[in-house]
Amino acid sequence: MTVARGWSYGVLIALLVVIYFGLHLVLGLGDAVPDLLTVAVLLAARRLGGSAAAILGFGLGLLRDSLSLVAFGADTVALTLVGFLGSRSRDLFIGDSLGFVGAYLFIGKWLHDAVYHVVAASGGRWETATSRLLIEAPLASLYAAAAGVVALLLYRLVTGER
Amino acid sequence: MAGLLLLALVLFMLPGAYQAPLRRVVRGTALRPFLTVQRQVAERRSWSLDVAELRAKHDSLAAVAAAQMTLAEENRRLRALLGLRSRAEASFRAAEVLRLGIAGAESTFLLDIGSADGVRIGSPVLSTDGLVGVVWEVDERSSQAIDWTHPEFRVSAMTMDGSVYGLVEPRRGEFREEDLLVLTGAAFHSDIQPGTRIVTSGTGGIYPRGIPIGTVIGIEEADTGWRKSYLLRPAVRPEAATHVLVGVRVDEGGEGDLTSLWPTAAPPDSVDEEGAGSVGPAAGSGGAEQP
Repeated sequence: MTVARGWSYGVLIALLVVIYFGLHLVLGLGDAVPDLLTVAVLLAARRLGGSAAAILGFGLGLLRDSLSLVAFGADTVALTLVGFLGSRSRDLFIGDSLGFVGAYLFIGKWLHDAVYHVVAASGGRWETATSRLLIEAPLASLYAAAAGVVALLLYRLVTGER
Repeated sequence: MAGLLLLALVLFMLPGAYQAPLRRVVRGTALRPFLTVQRQVAERRSWSLDVAELRAKHDSLAAVAAAQMTLAEENRRLRALLGLRSRAEASFRAAEVLRLGIAGAESTFLLDIGSADGVRIGSPVLSTDGLVGVVWEVDERSSQAIDWTHPEFRVSAMTMDGSVYGLVEPRRGEFREEDLLVLTGAAFHSDIQPGTRIVTSGTGGIYPRGIPIGTVIGIEEADTGWRKSYLLRPAVRPEAATHVLVGVRVDEGGEGDLTSLWPTAAPPDSVDEEGAGSVGPAAGSGGAEQP
């Protein structure tokens, strides 16, 4: 990967983060916004080392947790883990097709939600964790994966990267 | 990696008192640009709102504030006549509600006013229909509050006539739209009729007396400890609250009485005619019955 491509990919990740917080905090769109933060960590993790991806996940998780009065730290745990595992997934799976990326984002987002709900539920909220994991999380994962694929498609169109 | 994960877990397990400053630091630095833009957008958005709707909301809030001012003035006059020293009265600031819609921020919302406007931790949040929630964290220009659906929301309450006292807490429905409130700890011999309005009792030091919380729709369960619990239909749906009033100078000890700000009669549609059995949380908690 050239330096220029590295920078442009970094811009894509940064844009996803800015768009995510912009849609939530500035426009207040709430649930209508796909989880672009997890998508950003997962996409970045495919090109970063394990430690760097974990640090990125930790930082972005802390950002989102700063808005959480319910389970501060749970998202930091989830995104740190997802970042690290996303980076390690390169050792197991190789592929850049949109179909592969979509499946990767879907599984990654679902894993994030699973870790998040398990950690958050350890504070005594088990009754909602199960239904969220089995009903809400797959739908949210599908939504996030679709958004991630569209973002990557646009990125490839703009940069000409295959 | 392991160190980061451990650090994240430590953050999660920190007591709330230590988490709050961390949250404030992150919000005040990395997220500050977003929150600043959000305030400006909120201002501009309010300009483009439907004028009639905006005027109606403004008039409602102004009416509450004006009625409260009149009462405050009357209270001051009467206290002067009786030779009692004056005390700080509750006053309110209008604020815009911003729902975050992220997993950790359920049942919470941001307000576009903060400590610079007099908001502090524990300030009550009201709408024109009644109690919405309470402020939990305060920054200089913004604050974060929980609404009544938050699992840790509690408010001491009573019937309008003061005959029954208890503690109101949320009951999670199968869907969020089915969330209700429950008046717990009412005396076993109490018999609150459906449609009875429940208001804040003023005890507990947070909420002034007399703010509508909800109306009784039936008995939830009869506790073995000689206590009754009543299901309440909330006076306010949090998701519908876009503009609120925040108590910025509420008396220490919640001594203010706001009873006269709201009409005494319960709204005609407040009683569920199909009975409490149609309500989600009741079914999940042993079934409800009409008293």
